[in-house]
Amino acid sequence: MTVNVEEQELKDRLSLIETMIAEGRRTTESWGWTFVLWGVAYYVAIGWDILGHNPWAWVITMTIALLLMMTILWYKAKRQTEKSPLTRAGRSISAIWTATGISMMMLFPAMGFSARFSPQIFVAVASAMLGTTNAASGIILKWKAQISCAMVWWAASAVACLASVAQCTIVFLVAIFLCQIVFGSYMMIREACQRKQGASHA
Amino acid sequence: MPELPELNPVVHGKLRLALLSLLVGVEEAEFTWLRSKTGATDGNLGAQLANLEEAGYVSVKKKFVQRKPQTLYRITEAGRAALAEYVQALKQMLGGAIGV
Repeated sequence: MTVNVEEQELKDRLSLIETMIAEGRRTTESWGWTFVLWGVAYYVAIGWDILGHNPWAWVITMTIALLLMMTILWYKAKRQTEKSPLTRAGRSISAIWTATGISMMMLFPAMGFSARFSPQIFVAVASAMLGTTNAASGIILKWKAQISCAMVWWAASAVACLASVAQCTIVFLVAIFLCQIVFGSYMMIREACQRKQGASHA
Repeated sequence: MPELPELNPVVHGKLRLALLSLLVGVEEAEFTWLRSKTGATDGNLGAQLANLEEAGYVSVKKKFVQRKPQTLYRITEAGRAALAEYVQALKQMLGGAIGV
């Protein structure tokens, strides 16, 4: 069965396909706040650990941050009137971050309780894991800003192996500031702009 | 002169083409999401999705979420292949039309 069509109609069909594919992949989800939340949580834990000398500082702060993030996600999902479908890229990125989160939650408390913990090893391993996760997300999204964050984390990881405890702490604080607070805030601004654009197109 | 390809009439329908193009980028989508993206009426959307299902291009899954019915649509391998063939044919036809 053949369909007779004009050239313009064919071009319209091609353009319709492109528009709809892009529309399907457009996401209204926002994740910038999670970067800022975890960045602040790391600062609280470091500050509490150094100034308060509390051995439970990291465990308590990370648990509270996790519960807070899950509560906000649950609240946002409940408030959402129309659920966006999951894309393959979205599932991949979500899988990578979930796996890293679980690894960190298992490894670091165990390291702490086993008394085999050293600040340099902690910063080196945490930074390498965050570097890997950011790099994988950045490559999937083809996002240079996130790949740059990965490079900062990898550099922090390498420096932590060679530096003193004080230097290592400073390097970690700088990496958190750049890759969590600054990058998270940039992401939030970008997401707000995208939502605004989406609303004006609707 | 090479013969121009035929366009698949099931895929060629404007709303059906929009639906397949939307579904190709996601894992599965709710009826309401498809309606909001295409701007189609419930009746028309339901009819076109039924056509695509009949052709084997989409699969349907019905479930209840918090006691509310939810209909989820997913593009099948046959649907993916049909869309890819359609795009290929379009490009070939346009190439012929503009003398490439």
